[in-house]
Amino acid sequence: MSRRGCLKAAMVVLLLFAIGLVGYFALSAGSPDGLERVMEDNGVEEGDQLWSAPLDYGGDWGTAFVAGLIGFALTFGAVYLYLKVYLKGGSARRKA
Amino acid sequence: MDPWVVLLGWALAIPVIALAIFRLDRRVDERTVPFMAILAAGIFVAQMLNFPVGGGTTGHLIGATLAVVLLGLNGAIVVMTAILVIQCLVFGDGGLTALGLNLLNMAVIAPLVAYGVLRALKGHEGAAVPVASWASVFLASLACGLMLSASYVISDGAFGIIGSVAIPAMAGWHAVIAIGEAVITSGVVLFLKRVAPEMLEINGPEEAGA
Repeated sequence: MSRRGCLKAAMVVLLLFAIGLVGYFALSAGSPDGLERVMEDNGVEEGDQLWSAPLDYGGDWGTAFVAGLIGFALTFGAVYLYLKVYLKGGSARRKA
Repeated sequence: MDPWVVLLGWALAIPVIALAIFRLDRRVDERTVPFMAILAAGIFVAQMLNFPVGGGTTGHLIGATLAVVLLGLNGAIVVMTAILVIQCLVFGDGGLTALGLNLLNMAVIAPLVAYGVLRALKGHEGAAVPVASWASVFLASLACGLMLSASYVISDGAFGIIGSVAIPAMAGWHAVIAIGEAVITSGVVLFLKRVAPEMLEINGPEEAGA
């Protein structure tokens, strides 16, 4: 995929996400998802967390959009970097 | 979750993910790297968007089937793993101990089911993607129900939920949520087929060689 194609795809995904968030806050925000619902119905509490995460998904359109942007960038960066490094190692191994 | 079940989750998930990483190394090429990264990022944001399924409950995409269709089995396992690790470490979605079980369900079981169904229904274009999406979510949720029940039994009721409740409850809600997954995944695949058919061919060699 070309650089332009990637940029376009990223813009489309984020645009759809921005629109999708409106629907999310109109219809779903605050309701549990499937697993959370089953846990709630049965009174299962989550235990103490071993790890406390630095961020959350935000509570309104703006903060959730920022969380989505950060997650999008982090996921993109992590997979991209990982594969680049791996490819480098892979081609070095193949040459050796 | 009972500690033993947690350990079992890690023990089952890690070798499969390691194998997928190893096998991906031989398949991935320079060209597909940005595409894989975009898809991973796209699935991350798609998972944030819950949709109502009735009864005050919501569901959201897992995205495993979409990843398998576009990247093949190994690519999907690696991408789903990356997403779940980031959700856990950065956004606190799912605890650190539960990560092993989440990985097993959503990065291993869901892509494997999707891959199996897609292969079994090869040639039945219209049915393969929706059935694979539905089955991947449904079976992953069933596995989660089994884990909750196993926790309950092993810990003598201290953790988890009794199986007669956990399994039908998980399966029941997710049978409906999985319809959402099927609709969204099919929609995205049909759309890509129309506007960017070359994306659906990236995994061609891997599928043939697998």
